[in-house]
Amino acid sequence: MEEVIRVENLTKRYGEFTAVHNISFAVKKGEIFGLLGENGAGKTTTLEIIEGLRKLTAGTVTVLGHDVKTDPTSIKSKIGVQLQSSAYFSYLTLKEMLELFASFYGKTVDAAALLHQVRLEEKAGAYVTQLSGGQRQRFSIMASLVNNPEIVFLDEPTTGLDPLARRNLWELIRTVRDQGKTVVLTTHYLEEAEILCDRVAIMEKGEMVALDKTGRLIAKAEFPYALTFEAQGDIPAALEKLSRYGQVHAGEKAGHHYRVLIKKEGDLGKVIDIMRPLKVEGLALRPASLEDVFIQLTGKAIDNGDREEERA
Amino acid sequence: MLKLFIADLKLQFRNRQSLFWSIAFPLIFTVIFGFFFGSGSMGTGTVAVVNDSTSKMATSMVDAFDKQDAFKVQTATSVDAARDSMKKGKAAGALIIPAHFGDTTPGAPTNVTILYDPGSIQLRAGLDGFVNAYLTEANYRVLKVSPVFGYTDERANASASFTYFDYVLIGLIGMALMNAAIQGVAISMSKYRDDKILKRITTTPLPGWKFLTAEVVSRLIVNLVQITLILWVGIGGFHASIGGNLWALYGLSLVGAILFQLIGFSVAAVAKNTDAAEGMSQAIAIPMMFLAGVFFPIDQLPKWLYSIVQYLPLAPLLRAMRSLALESGAISDNISSLMLVGVWIVVLLLFAIYRFRLTDE
Repeated sequence: MEEVIRVENLTKRYGEFTAVHNISFAVKKGEIFGLLGENGAGKTTTLEIIEGLRKLTAGTVTVLGHDVKTDPTSIKSKIGVQLQSSAYFSYLTLKEMLELFASFYGKTVDAAALLHQVRLEEKAGAYVTQLSGGQRQRFSIMASLVNNPEIVFLDEPTTGLDPLARRNLWELIRTVRDQGKTVVLTTHYLEEAEILCDRVAIMEKGEMVALDKTGRLIAKAEFPYALTFEAQGDIPAALEKLSRYGQVHAGEKAGHHYRVLIKKEGDLGKVIDIMRPLKVEGLALRPASLEDVFIQLTGKAIDNGDREEERA
Repeated sequence: MLKLFIADLKLQFRNRQSLFWSIAFPLIFTVIFGFFFGSGSMGTGTVAVVNDSTSKMATSMVDAFDKQDAFKVQTATSVDAARDSMKKGKAAGALIIPAHFGDTTPGAPTNVTILYDPGSIQLRAGLDGFVNAYLTEANYRVLKVSPVFGYTDERANASASFTYFDYVLIGLIGMALMNAAIQGVAISMSKYRDDKILKRITTTPLPGWKFLTAEVVSRLIVNLVQITLILWVGIGGFHASIGGNLWALYGLSLVGAILFQLIGFSVAAVAKNTDAAEGMSQAIAIPMMFLAGVFFPIDQLPKWLYSIVQYLPLAPLLRAMRSLALESGAISDNISSLMLVGVWIVVLLLFAIYRFRLTDE
C-alpha cells in the first residue's frame, strides 16, 4: 500500500515541555487512521504539525511526497482540515462559506451539490449558528472537502454529538474514505475508533504506545478477551477461581457488575465451566475492547468528562 | 481574493451591532450637534414678539425682526401669552412693542421692552444687539443725521469661515473612523481567533497577507460610507460648510482609518480573548474621543495636559483634517501633523507585524 504520510522521529518541544517525543508512523492511502489518547497526549499537536500549522522541533514529516518544513503550501492545497469545534464566520451562509473556502484553493464549487451530499441542501441560505450540533459537524466535514483533497484530517469530529448524530457522521466518514480519500482522525471515544478506524495509534504523554490494525491491537493485548456478567449477591469462591485466568474488575455500581479480562484463548473453556453453575444475568464472552487495551497500555481509563482544551 | 473581499463586506454589513457603532452612532451625534449648533437650526433660540402698536414704525420693526436669522420668531397675542410661552420653554426671550409705539401723537410710548430668560445669555445678547441697532438707526432717521463713526467686522482668519458645527462635524468623522476601526478590528480579529477562524484560514493555501488585505480594504469601504453619510447629514441637514478640499478630507480620513486599524490589530495581538480586546479598545478610544479634539479645541486644556494629548493619534489627524477641509489649508501647512500621523503608522505597523499572528505559532 502506498504511504501518503510518513512521520519519522518527530519531536515537538515548547521550552522545557515535550509535547511530542520521538514518534514515527506512516499512514496508507485509502485508510481511516485514528490517533487515540487523552487530552494533552499530543494528538492535536501531531496532527497540526502534519498539516503544516506548527513547526516541528526535530524529525521529518512527509505528506504526499512533500516535506512539511520546505513545502507546506503544496501540502495545504492537497489536504482538507477540520478543526476541533466550529471555525466559521457568523454572518456568511453555508453556501457563501463553501464558495469562499473553495476560492482559497483557487477553485469554484457547486455548493448546492456539496450540501446535498451531507443532507444540508435546505440550509444553503442559513448561518452556521442556526444549525444543530450534528448538522454543524456534517457541514464542517463538507467544508474540509471543498478542494477535493487527497487526505482529510478530522480533529475529534464527533465530540459532543448524540449517539444518532455520531452514527450519521461515521457513515459520512466512511463515504469519504470510499471516494478514495485517506482519513486521519483523532478521537477519545475508543468505541468510535474500534468501529471506524482501519488502524489506530495510541498516544500517551507525547509518545506512541501502540500502533496497529484495530483488531490486531486487541488480539495482541495481554488480556485479549472479556467476560462480563451481573451477579445477584456475593460470589467470592467463583471470583477467586476466575482470578487464576485473568483480571477481575468489579463494577462500581453496588458491586454486582463484573468484567473479567482473560489472558489465554485456551482458558476460555475453563472460565465457562466456572460460570455454568452460577446464577448470573447477561453473561457474555467477547474480544476485549479497545478501551481494555488502552487501560492495559496506559494504566488508566480515558477521561471523557469535562475536557480541557488540549495543551497548545 | 475578490470573493474574500466581497465576503468581508457582507460580514460587515450583516453585523448589525457593529453597524450601529460605526454608522448609526456617529450619525446620531451629527444630528444632535446639528440641532444645537447647525445653522439650519436658528442657533440661539426663539423670541416671542408682541406687537400692540399699529404704527408704521412698529410694523417695519417686526418685519425686520422676521428677516433676521439669529433666532426664531414667534408671534404672541399678549404680554401674558409671551410670558407663558417663556415659562413653558417654548421661547427664551420676548420683544414687547406697546400700544401706540411709533405714533407721532404726543405722549406715545418710545420704549420697547425686552424680556429675557437668565439661562439664555446668548439670546439676550443677540436680542439686545438687534433692538439696539434698529432703534439707533430709527433715531438717526428721526433726527435726520447720518452716523459719523462706524466699524466693519472681519474674521481674523479670512479663509476660516467655519462655525462650531463645522468644527465638530470633522471631529465626528474622526471619532467615527476611530471607533469603527479600533473596535472593529480588535474585536473581530480576537473573535476570529477565539472561534479558530484564523487557524482555519491557515489550513488553506491562502497567504495570510491576502486575508488581511481584504479585511483592511473592506473596512476602508465602510469608512467611506461613514464619511459620506456624516457629511451628507451635516451639510444637507444642517448646512455645514466644508469650504476646503473635500478629496483631501477623504484621503486623510482613509490614512487615519489605516492608523486606527493598526491600533486594532495591535490590540488584537496582545488581548487574550474577545472580551479583553473589547475592553482594551474602549480604554483607548474613549479617552481619545474627549482628549484629542473631537468636540472642543484641545489647546483650551491645562497646559500640562495639552502637552501630552496633542500627540494622541487622533489629535494631529483632526488638526490636519480641519486645516484642509475648513481652512483650505495646504498639505505643506500641515507637515508636522502629517509627520506625527506617519510616525504613529510606522510604529504601530512594526508592532503589529512583530506581534500579530493568525495562529499562536
